[in-house]
Amino acid sequence: MTTLVAAPDRPRGRRRRSGEGGFSGPLFVSGYVILLLAFGVLPTLYAVYLAFTNVRGQFTGINQFTRVFQDFRFGPAFVNIVAYLVIWLVLIVVLTVAVAVVLRGRMPARLSTTLRFLYYIPGALAGVASILVWLFMLDPSVSPVNWLLKALGFGTFAQVLAPGHLSLIFALIAFWTGAGGWIVVMYGALDNISTEVLEAARIDGAGPWRTAIHIQIPMIRKWIVYMAILAFAAGTQLFVEPQLLQTASLGRVSPTWSPNQLAYVYAFQRGDFNGAAAISLVLLVLGLIVAGLLVTRSGLFKVDEQ
Amino acid sequence: MTRRAVTFLVVGLVLALLLVFFVLPALWLLLAPTKTASELVSDSPLAFGSFGNVVRAWQHLTGFENGVLFTWLRNSAVYSIGALILTLVTSIPAGYALALTKFRGRKLLLTVTLIVMIMPSAALVLPIFLELNLAGLVGTVWSIILPFSFYPFGVYLVYIYFATSLPRDLLSAARLDGATEWQIFARVGLPLAKPVVGLVAFFSFVGNWNNFFLPYLVLPGSDQFPIQVGLNQLLSSTPSFNPVAGAGLDITSPELALAVIIAILPVLVLFLFSQRTLVSGMLAGSTKE
Amino acid sequence: MKSPRFFRTAAALATVGALAVVGGCASADPTTTSGSAPSSFTAAPQDDSAPITVWTDSTRLPSVQAYQHAHPNVKMNIVTFDGSADGSTYLQTKVQLFDRTNSGWPDVVFASPTDVTWAAEPTSPTAQAFAAPVDEGMVPKSTLDNFAQGSLTPCQFNGHTYCLRNDIAQVVLWYNKTLLDQWGYQVPTTWEQYQQLGEQIARDHPGYLVGAIGDTNSQESYFWSAQCPAQQLTGPNTLRVDMADSHCTKMAGLLDTLVKAGSVTTQGFFGQSFAKTYGSKVAMAVGPSWYGQYLFNSAFKTPAGQITAAAPLKWQGDTRTVTGNVGGGVWMISSHSKNLKASTAVAEWLTTSNDNLTNAPTYPAYSPGAAAWLANPANKDYFATDVTSVFQQAANEVWSGWGNTKFSDATSWSSVVLPALTSGKTLAQTLPAWGNEIANEAKSVGYTVTTK
Repeated sequence: MTTLVAAPDRPRGRRRRSGEGGFSGPLFVSGYVILLLAFGVLPTLYAVYLAFTNVRGQFTGINQFTRVFQDFRFGPAFVNIVAYLVIWLVLIVVLTVAVAVVLRGRMPARLSTTLRFLYYIPGALAGVASILVWLFMLDPSVSPVNWLLKALGFGTFAQVLAPGHLSLIFALIAFWTGAGGWIVVMYGALDNISTEVLEAARIDGAGPWRTAIHIQIPMIRKWIVYMAILAFAAGTQLFVEPQLLQTASLGRVSPTWSPNQLAYVYAFQRGDFNGAAAISLVLLVLGLIVAGLLVTRSGLFKVDEQ
Repeated sequence: MTRRAVTFLVVGLVLALLLVFFVLPALWLLLAPTKTASELVSDSPLAFGSFGNVVRAWQHLTGFENGVLFTWLRNSAVYSIGALILTLVTSIPAGYALALTKFRGRKLLLTVTLIVMIMPSAALVLPIFLELNLAGLVGTVWSIILPFSFYPFGVYLVYIYFATSLPRDLLSAARLDGATEWQIFARVGLPLAKPVVGLVAFFSFVGNWNNFFLPYLVLPGSDQFPIQVGLNQLLSSTPSFNPVAGAGLDITSPELALAVIIAILPVLVLFLFSQRTLVSGMLAGSTKE
Repeated sequence: MKSPRFFRTAAALATVGALAVVGGCASADPTTTSGSAPSSFTAAPQDDSAPITVWTDSTRLPSVQAYQHAHPNVKMNIVTFDGSADGSTYLQTKVQLFDRTNSGWPDVVFASPTDVTWAAEPTSPTAQAFAAPVDEGMVPKSTLDNFAQGSLTPCQFNGHTYCLRNDIAQVVLWYNKTLLDQWGYQVPTTWEQYQQLGEQIARDHPGYLVGAIGDTNSQESYFWSAQCPAQQLTGPNTLRVDMADSHCTKMAGLLDTLVKAGSVTTQGFFGQSFAKTYGSKVAMAVGPSWYGQYLFNSAFKTPAGQITAAAPLKWQGDTRTVTGNVGGGVWMISSHSKNLKASTAVAEWLTTSNDNLTNAPTYPAYSPGAAAWLANPANKDYFATDVTSVFQQAANEVWSGWGNTKFSDATSWSSVVLPALTSGKTLAQTLPAWGNEIANEAKSVGYTVTTK
């Protein structure tokens, strides 16, 4: 009903068949569109405006971008986040799908339910909670797994927090809190595959592996792509964990470890909202490229018309 | 069949390892309030202290700034539930319409939704803050509830759910019968959407309950903080993390752990009770094929 | 399979970028001030009965509540926040946002000295600096003159004073008198003697410590006291960073020797397992006045009557003793306050009134208040000897060459130097990287960096 309708699109009178909803579509989405405009689109446009202007509101072109690229913290922050993203994406995609397939397989229903609950527990522990827990898990002198840390050659907390380990640590923390929820979603998606399909596969002589790879996983492809996009987006925005670990580890973690933290420093410590917006746009573009690739390769936007 | 046995063993081992990975830290957390701060460091990590310590930690915690903990919990509940209602009211019809009707700008809407989902929060906080100020909402509960209720993730969940699980034939049949779009949505769509409603409600609630960044920046006073921001304030009042704090303050690691347990209880209880609906319910939609 | 929308969006973005390159563009320089800040401020319309909002940390909350209790007719709204502990930027963040909306500022805030560096300047061309210059008819000069020498230096910019110092954290030499007496050692008075004793303790009593350098603020205990020009403000916007200076290299060499000997650890006193592992093994510590209560008493649980403080160390041959400072808060008054009178009264009471300072948690910066604090037995009972003269003398000896900069000195130390030490490097090897990081940070907030 708003700008959406005004957006020029291909003429689709031919495609608008009776029985496709008529005006109800715009009506049904209107509430969401208001929120989307207020808290999604307008703020984003304002951020874009900020990224191309300076503090006096003058148009600066790409100068804000070249300025932040030259910041001595920019390169390290992006190296950190890329390393983190690779570990995090591999963990979340491979493990959640694999676990969901196993849990959906031939397993007593009660065991499967219990495991899903247990795997989910850390999902409730976000932010301060997870940092408090991991602070103790990673400190060899108080950790329940200190034998493991010591076997890996870490005698002190400071050694565990060596700069080279941080990407892995944050990926593990993120996986710890995030995986349970996604296992539930993947499990639900697998549950949605009708039993006849699976039965047919079994009669055709497909084992659990082949069923998983040739039938189950392709059928929940949309969910996997969706998860990958969101996991990637959430990953690029990493902020709370390094920020809190910075406080809690008495400063061993740089306050500009991730690009989002750097943007935060720009915005709220230097009052440089323009530079912060420029960094955020770089992150956004990075996310869009990955999302665009995933979406175009998987046809996520297409409504199945058969 | 030894190959099956090996597979079984490997799979079992992986599940068990993951179990330890997920549960051990949580178990540690559960045991933490039973110890004193020094026992936490000196005793065996998974040892049980005493219930007396839990009681003492509880007294310290509720004594912190005259029981502000309860205010934080109530605030979290108000923000999360308020936003949850608005999220459901807006995202269910939206996801339904995106999946099952065709209208101009549908694809644009999906794309824009995706883009703003990827937008880093640090960039959005300032514009959102300025908007809220313009609307005179800063300092009110709406300054949290309204931004929280914008939940593109939920719209996507509903969209994918309807796109993959609700046969369009069912809708066509209803339309041929002369039902209005609203009637179709209310009588066909909504009943089938029950599981995804549960899923969206759950994730929205948990997301809002755990959200830190926006309330941290937008709310002016500590008596308006939700529990997550409150936990941060507790953290910075703990001598272990802020050595100069703590004259007359009894907030140490066990108190913090107890606060964390209290903070996550609502989420865990909710999960326990809704898990059946969350998962088994999704089956209801599988009339496809 | 394709999503043309994506490519269209990408094309649009590319167009914007291309336009940007072609068109003439303004500078992206974020600098908001052109060197000198305005000396005065425009006060908001005043109302002597307007309610005031006070932001405090939880440690100072009882003091603020006590003021409210003693002055029931002042309408006060008390808000607790993290008090800028551990380099938190909560206050700065909020003021940035309030400046954008032109409302919401608290009237009186507890803050860290670092906060004054941004609060004394406008956050944007249209904003007014958050902190009010208290020397402009708000607090009498005679009161300001009574603060310990140099304690208001972090408050001073462009010839004005923008805050009242709450407490100071002058570095002294802490030692366990019981242990040292038992071993028959003299308390060192120079850094050279400290090094000798450190080496001797490492030899004769292995396992005992004379210091730790793994905390976020250890550099303030050691390098500040050593007069190392790691961040010396030579002008309002000029910072001298010279790690090759002999004061820095001497201190680095001293610490490297003791780390190698084993009596100085690269772990931090405030690491969570330190008390468990080494708590009873600390024979000496170079650190701030609050170490007594917060480190030895609360964290290490060392019994009363063992620990005491000696005068700060100096280099052999130096005539003047100087020392460092680790923390200490300030109170600022908002220049936007509608009731400056009531706000000033609160801030003055909190920082200068004996009613408050006698029982203050840390050493008051206001000299008469500090005397009252030292006269209170509760503040001294714990120590083996009377620390009065040591504290009072050290309070006036804080070296002013360690600048209160717009960036926190903890960042470079903790995220560059400490990980390097953990990986086995020496301080001497790490000094250049440390200086480089400070210089980078300084440049990023607009300082001109020199080595002289």
